[in-house]
Amino acid sequence: MELNSIQLDALSEFGNIGAAHAATSLSQMLMSPIEMKVPEVQVVDIARMHSIIGNEISAMVVFQIQGEVADGGYIVVSMPRETVIQLTNQMLGTNDTGREINEMDQSAAIEIGNIMISAFLDATAELLGIVMLPSPPALAIDMAHAAFESIVAQMAGDVNDVLIFNTELVSEAPPVYGCIYLLPNTELMQQVSLMLERLMKPIP
Amino acid sequence: MENNFFGEAKAVILGLGEFRVGTCPMGTIGLGSCIALILHDPRRSLGGLAHIMLPESHGSTDRPGKFADTAVSAVLEEMERLGSTKFSVTAIVVGGASMFEYSANSLNIGERNAAAVKDLLREQGIRIGHEETGGKVGRSVYFWPEGKGRLIIKRADGTCVEL
Repeated sequence: MELNSIQLDALSEFGNIGAAHAATSLSQMLMSPIEMKVPEVQVVDIARMHSIIGNEISAMVVFQIQGEVADGGYIVVSMPRETVIQLTNQMLGTNDTGREINEMDQSAAIEIGNIMISAFLDATAELLGIVMLPSPPALAIDMAHAAFESIVAQMAGDVNDVLIFNTELVSEAPPVYGCIYLLPNTELMQQVSLMLERLMKPIP
Repeated sequence: MENNFFGEAKAVILGLGEFRVGTCPMGTIGLGSCIALILHDPRRSLGGLAHIMLPESHGSTDRPGKFADTAVSAVLEEMERLGSTKFSVTAIVVGGASMFEYSANSLNIGERNAAAVKDLLREQGIRIGHEETGGKVGRSVYFWPEGKGRLIIKRADGTCVEL
């Protein structure tokens, strides 16, 4: 997959707007400010995936992008274990941080992911002028690379690289850290490029 | 990501769809639905590892390590070139987990991967010495081909097996 710098910028801006809306929804849920790091867009060879996504244990909520582009790729919210527990505590008003992940944490992670990604896709779909909906969420609490492998296996049967947009969301109090990854497939990427072309046209 | 598990400079970590044959220690980190196929020839202290992503190549040949059908023959051919035969190697098959809960969609390709690899080994008449497939946990695999070979499987739930 060859992308020129304009296309990479387009995707970066596209993801940035989506992530900003996701961050806002998280901030509203936590009632605290969320800081968003500068996003990164990379074309990653599948063999080098492990240099970007490590094998530390994380909770990952995965959505397939559906709607007008039938299979637009995948979008993932990834959080360390401590963050998931922190988020559950915050929402339930408990403060037990040393425990293991339980069922309540799992459904909290899914729900938070769902709200964030719905905000992400709502905002970006409007930009593209198409309907994009998240699939029902799937959750894995496991080595990050192991979960991403399963996603990439669905996407990169015929190609040897994937496009990854990612951005970090950080809050200090409560200490929360998360990442949003967007892996668009070719069709969605085309839509994003078209969008940019439209935006770049001089106003008649 | 740095991986200092081996503590040896010549060790290789294989990414998705890669394969390698040699005498150096090798491994893969974070196996999900993918399969680590190891062929080992103890007499020659020779090992081969493929990080297999999908069951069928459908004719694609640019990354033989990526698909079960091309990977099995690629690793075997490379080892035969270095003196091994089908009968002198044993196989180790690890991986093929179903990573996602609450998911009815096609993200769970692990089972098909594992079945494809085992079928191919059976066709080739290669004995499977050790197998750990399926389940719901990610795994990291490390293998030292020297002599009888040493295998470490580290699971995401923190447990570890050593053979």
